[in-house]
Amino acid sequence: MPGFDFSNFNRNSALHARGVPLPKATSTGTTIVGCVYDGGVVIAADTRATSGPIVADKNCEKLHYIAPKIWCAGAGTAADTEFTTALISSNVELHSLSTGRDPRVITCMTMLKQHLFRYQGHIGAYLVVAGVDPTGVGLYTVHAHGSTDKLPYVTMGSGSLAAMSVFESMWQPDLDKDGAIELCSEAIKAGIFNDLGSGSNVDVCVIQKDKPTQLLRNYEKPNERGHKERNYRFPRGTTAWLNQKIISKEDMKKYVTIETLSGDDSLAERMEVDS
Amino acid sequence: MASLLDHSARGETVGYSFSQAAAAPVKQHGFYPYTDNGGSTLGITGSDFAILAGDTRSTSGYNINSRMVPKVFKIGGDAETGEGAHIILSVVGFAADGNALKERLDSIVKMYRYQHGKRMSVSACAQRLSTILYQKRFFPYYVTAILAGLDEEGKGALYSYDPVGSYEREQCRAAGAAASLIMPFLDNQVNFKNQYIPGSGEGHALEAKKPEPLPQDHVKQLVRDAFTSAVERHIEVGDNLQMLIATKDGIQEVFHPLKKD
Amino acid sequence: MVAPHGVTGMLGEDGIHVDMQHLKSGEVNLGTSIMAINFKDGVILGADSRTTTGAYIANRVTDKLTQVHDTIWCCRSGSAADTQAVADIVSYHLNMYGVTNNEAPSTQVAASLFQELCYENKDALSAGIIIAGYDPRHGGQVYSIPLGGSLHKQSFAIGGSGSTYIYGYTDAHWKEQMTEQEGIDFVRSALQEAIKWDGSSGGVIRLVVLTKKGAVRHLYLPDNGYTGPGVTH
Repeated sequence: MPGFDFSNFNRNSALHARGVPLPKATSTGTTIVGCVYDGGVVIAADTRATSGPIVADKNCEKLHYIAPKIWCAGAGTAADTEFTTALISSNVELHSLSTGRDPRVITCMTMLKQHLFRYQGHIGAYLVVAGVDPTGVGLYTVHAHGSTDKLPYVTMGSGSLAAMSVFESMWQPDLDKDGAIELCSEAIKAGIFNDLGSGSNVDVCVIQKDKPTQLLRNYEKPNERGHKERNYRFPRGTTAWLNQKIISKEDMKKYVTIETLSGDDSLAERMEVDS
Repeated sequence: MASLLDHSARGETVGYSFSQAAAAPVKQHGFYPYTDNGGSTLGITGSDFAILAGDTRSTSGYNINSRMVPKVFKIGGDAETGEGAHIILSVVGFAADGNALKERLDSIVKMYRYQHGKRMSVSACAQRLSTILYQKRFFPYYVTAILAGLDEEGKGALYSYDPVGSYEREQCRAAGAAASLIMPFLDNQVNFKNQYIPGSGEGHALEAKKPEPLPQDHVKQLVRDAFTSAVERHIEVGDNLQMLIATKDGIQEVFHPLKKD
Repeated sequence: MVAPHGVTGMLGEDGIHVDMQHLKSGEVNLGTSIMAINFKDGVILGADSRTTTGAYIANRVTDKLTQVHDTIWCCRSGSAADTQAVADIVSYHLNMYGVTNNEAPSTQVAASLFQELCYENKDALSAGIIIAGYDPRHGGQVYSIPLGGSLHKQSFAIGGSGSTYIYGYTDAHWKEQMTEQEGIDFVRSALQEAIKWDGSSGGVIRLVVLTKKGAVRHLYLPDNGYTGPGVTH
């Protein structure tokens, strides 16, 4: 069956009625912004994800791909922004393939608002949709309940007030590309430093006519971690243990296939780890 | 959008419990006199010193009230400079209550000196602070306090409190928003919890590493590392680190910048 | 008092269901002052431009005058999401009507479509809509659909939170068969008064004049006391 699985709904309602709290979703506390200029549009986001007062991810990506020239910045429930943009991205591509035309920003915005309206705000996705298409430049906000706004400069998320104060005092109608990038970056930094829900780095995405889209990941890093003063490596044998069991590679081969990779780093995939 | 600005779901996770859970909670309106101003404090003692530290950020919800509100105070010194003080107090929780508590204790320690012609001992001050807190048992000072100084033998002394006056002398203590992040680090690095001496035995015979008083430089490094790390993972901690070091020569104050996001 | 099954909130003294919790927390609200009037040659719609989320102004240049056919427009008040969704659905049906019947729909048809949606989904919607249109057979017409989903044909209609401040003003100054300029002045000055007293209304005043010549937009800015610039594109 397509769509969401509601099979645990009754159980969860009963648990909630008896006082069990709802599970805490990772929310992207977030500052996200967007700004149009003569030949394109810029969107930007901070990179902090929170769970209550705890930082869940110090360098997450809040700029989502919809189409080569349509991108989305997401605030609200992390999972909802991720899955909603992925779903609409798929449908936009299918639509583009069946019509044989480049996708339009307004099409994407309409699909998003109709999807979110159907779920009456229960899908907590607050989005800034931006892009260029044959009709020109487009920039919209979409709220979780399904309302949309079309404006030359927009902000969303818990840092939206801090970011909007930058736009309302510094925005001009004749911005060029670099001016728009700089203004968006300033607005995100206002959110990073004045809103506790936002923090870490600035991500920027520049979408312009007749040029490939640039995703400037970590365009600014104003919050690098300082060096630790002490070394916290424990000498081998510090941890207590009561018994040990050694499984040899030969034993494991009975259950799984083992392939030894050479020391070449490019061959073995490296896991991304927080510094 | 306001759902992002709604902080009702914040705070420590509630345990899963059915017994005391009431059915549908009825929303009650009324005057709530407390606010949580976030921030964190910690204290560590050595053989001849005691350090109290705290960040200087004051928050309400997702907003920063100020980046420079000290949480650690000199008690019983000059009103302006704090000179002549020999006891230090840190308070974290509701800043207004913290300030009121500090003012009360400060005047009591001063009155003691005027009336008895001698300094109040840290142990006496600790007992007095407990009674001050318990006097407001049914309308508490919404703070977690840590009191520190040197005891009668000149050794570092540190007392930690709950909001209604229960207290205990300890080697180290973390309090406030990031206490749950810092305290395990202190247990491991100050009291050497979960650390054993490599090769000292097999199984249950393995010998635990014994805690011993740490030198001052070492402790200062631990304090700074504890805070730079807490800043990374707790949104209410940041801006500046304030450290008060009590020794036989008096109280030294040091500030250190922290991340401001 | 026991509320009927599946209904939240409380019953008012008159037995009408009053749901104070209706706007979900965080929902974007059109605080709004809106109105539409008949005049000699057609209709005029007018609205302020403020949308709010709580105390925050989410959009200060909102367009609350929405086209659903060539010369049938509506003024939206209440939840932004609900009214946009309803207007989009009506717009779709009117366009289908236009191409299948090769004839523009009448204002009444549009108003009935709005009523159908607002009445059948009254439990889920918070939408107060005014529909105004011009068609060659009936000339200008104004319809109002308040919260419950009832439909009222009126010579003029006011709506939104700011309208409470201008019931007296509009009654005292209303005239049948005004000229276009008289009508514009009437709507503009009434909305200026509503904006003055209602904190949830503000920004610019937008007007749309609907006559046999088509739709003409007007804009009036607060910078010059809502006197200009007037007609836009």
